[in-house]
Amino acid sequence: MKRLQLQRWSSSVLSAQARTGGRLQHRLYNGIRHQSTASPAAPTANDQLIEEEPLASPIHPPNSRQSKYQLPSPPVEAARESAKLAALHARLYLPSRLPLETLARSLVDASADPNPKFNNDSLATLGHDLLTHYTTEYLLCTYPRLPLTVIFAAMYAYVGPKTLEAMAREWGVEFAAAPGGEVDPGYLQFKRMLPGTEPKPVTGTARPHEDQKHWRKSITSSVVYDNEFGDPVKGPKDPSEQSRQDTPNLKGVSAEQASATFVRAVMGAIYLHAGRPAAKRFFEQHFLSRHLNISDLFNFSQPARDLSRLCARENFEQPVARIISETGRKSRHPVFVVGIYSGQDKLGEGAGASLLEARSRAAVAALKGWYLYSPLNVRVPSSMEEEGAAPWKPVHVDLGEVIV
Amino acid sequence: MPVQGIRSVTAARNGVGAFILQCKRLEFHYCDWAGSSRGMLSYLKHQLPAFAKANPQIEIRVSPRPHKHPVVKGHYVNGREKAICVRNLEPEQIVKKVHLLKEASGEKLKRTKKPVTSLNESVRGIWSPYHGGLKSV
Amino acid sequence: MFSRTTLARALALPIEHSSARSASTTFRACLHQATSTTTTTTSQPEAPLSATPRAQTSIPIQQPRFLTSSNSIPQTRADVPLNKQPVAPTFDAPLKVSQSLLELLPNLTSQKPHFITAHLHDRPYLLTAGDQLRLPFLMPKVKSGDILRFNRASVLGSRDFTLKGGAQYLDERLFECRVRVMGFESEPLRITEKTKRRRRHVQKVTSKHRYTILRVMDVKVKTAEELLEEGAVVVESADSAANVELKA
Repeated sequence: MKRLQLQRWSSSVLSAQARTGGRLQHRLYNGIRHQSTASPAAPTANDQLIEEEPLASPIHPPNSRQSKYQLPSPPVEAARESAKLAALHARLYLPSRLPLETLARSLVDASADPNPKFNNDSLATLGHDLLTHYTTEYLLCTYPRLPLTVIFAAMYAYVGPKTLEAMAREWGVEFAAAPGGEVDPGYLQFKRMLPGTEPKPVTGTARPHEDQKHWRKSITSSVVYDNEFGDPVKGPKDPSEQSRQDTPNLKGVSAEQASATFVRAVMGAIYLHAGRPAAKRFFEQHFLSRHLNISDLFNFSQPARDLSRLCARENFEQPVARIISETGRKSRHPVFVVGIYSGQDKLGEGAGASLLEARSRAAVAALKGWYLYSPLNVRVPSSMEEEGAAPWKPVHVDLGEVIV
Repeated sequence: MPVQGIRSVTAARNGVGAFILQCKRLEFHYCDWAGSSRGMLSYLKHQLPAFAKANPQIEIRVSPRPHKHPVVKGHYVNGREKAICVRNLEPEQIVKKVHLLKEASGEKLKRTKKPVTSLNESVRGIWSPYHGGLKSV
Repeated sequence: MFSRTTLARALALPIEHSSARSASTTFRACLHQATSTTTTTTSQPEAPLSATPRAQTSIPIQQPRFLTSSNSIPQTRADVPLNKQPVAPTFDAPLKVSQSLLELLPNLTSQKPHFITAHLHDRPYLLTAGDQLRLPFLMPKVKSGDILRFNRASVLGSRDFTLKGGAQYLDERLFECRVRVMGFESEPLRITEKTKRRRRHVQKVTSKHRYTILRVMDVKVKTAEELLEEGAVVVESADSAANVELKA
């Protein structure tokens, strides 16, 4: 079922001239943004439109109702008429060089309009590359010692689809019930998945022996074969296969996927229209300003063993666990505070209800202290792209995580 | 595998980087006939265009609602809505109500006692009874 | 002290007002300030001009000018008229820092995160970057999206180090704490029932307070190099602006 456009009806009823090309021209030239789609209480605006009426008549009305229903996504001209779109543009403080038409295009998912000239696929590809590039360099320069699995998790937290979906919601983007040419271009348009369909696991990756499910997959191999979140990704396809693979457009996508594509497309659109500095600023303001506690992303299985290996690698003295204080050893709720020492240096400390628990917590604290090292005054490589940047100083590059 | 990553989602902190106004749409309903809409009609004619120009980030819808009192409804980013009945109000009073809707966050009104809410961990750490001078019984 | 025009600029509304009425009021007030010599701002109840909250929130306007070269008003926003733009902070003396403060300050600045005890209307608020602050009053003359700078703080600190002002507030040139106005909220309507003895009447008193919601954008302690760059003078420890303490 398609969304009924009540305000469209009312606007066409109240001011019949309002929907001709003359109004569009008028807006293009003057840059006036009328936000109220139906404004019967603004007689001055209507008067202007009536005066323009003879001008408008030779121009072919671009959005007649019949042709609109046949289009898979809203026509380009509709972008200037959408109050929703203009409000979204202003709400995000998007640069004025980014036209409303591009913003409208970034709201059309490939499942709604398979034509790559009208959907956001290409913009999203660019935006995704930018987002992952900026996030990766931020993470690697700020926390040079993070293990790869934690980098994957942090990437997922910053620019993963779940986060992007939440961001699209926080930007006030609403979903169209179904895509179509008559829908307001301010809605996010995508074809929904049928209820009950499970997202299929990705097949056809570039990884050799993909069908061997029980084989161990190393983390290092996922750098090569998987995507930036450590998920399997489809390998490069042959162009001959490409034509056969066009069917997924018919299946539809989930709301999470469509929202993520939209956010990426906005990023790509900003880069294309306003340039690199604006894109970087947008990334810093919208993505990096979100709150993430990286120390919550670690999940150690055997922290004491890892710490011992780490000390061996770094030529520290072997770690020794010592009780700092304890209370109620014979009671029902004992508490032990255990510190892990390497020679005279205390590496970490933890409290637990048993000696083993306290020791492993202390080892986790010591490992987190090592992995979460962050240099002072971090600069990222892309800061060199600004004009007048200070000369580049090499950032700290670490040996990497402990190999057990 | 020594350490696994736990997948999570970053928490929004609106205003730290970019600021997004929480009110995304204002709907104005009026009646052409009834007297309780007199102030609303005057507001729509004279004050609303300037308001819309000053706040481009809010989508504005005006629609008649015959035989009903005039209402201003604010729709918010978090999905909630606030409706204020403006029957028999003067345009100046409606200006105040619209301003209230614009500046609101859309959350349900709650009574809070603490002035500061934080996502960050405590800077100084949490006090522990097991450190410092322990008293033996 | 300062000239009349400076005062008029300082007292003028720094923020655009949508309604024409308040704009005219401002204009009248400006004229009034510029011409008259005896009357004070308190004598005009219709003018929403009180210097005290502005001085406490963002801009110190009661301090006399020190930097005569920076007499011009900073052009922060082109669309705001000149007489409505905020005035740059002015001081009568350069910041005095002691040698020990300069030596210990790198310890504090290099240890993140920082907290600040900012004072607003003499109430302390312990803040870190990203916190949400709910002020127990409706802040006048601001709208959502505005950025304010807190300039009164008693304590700046990290996990192990504290910078204390002692009896006075810390000098505002030592740190930067910016907050953004998120909007205004209120509490649910409270109804208190009041009764008198031997009277079958219950008086119902309602209250619904308005709050200003702020978001702390950053808490930054300036490094020693930045302080010296901005013209700080190294003095004996007795006159220093603040003292750093090592936590026990």
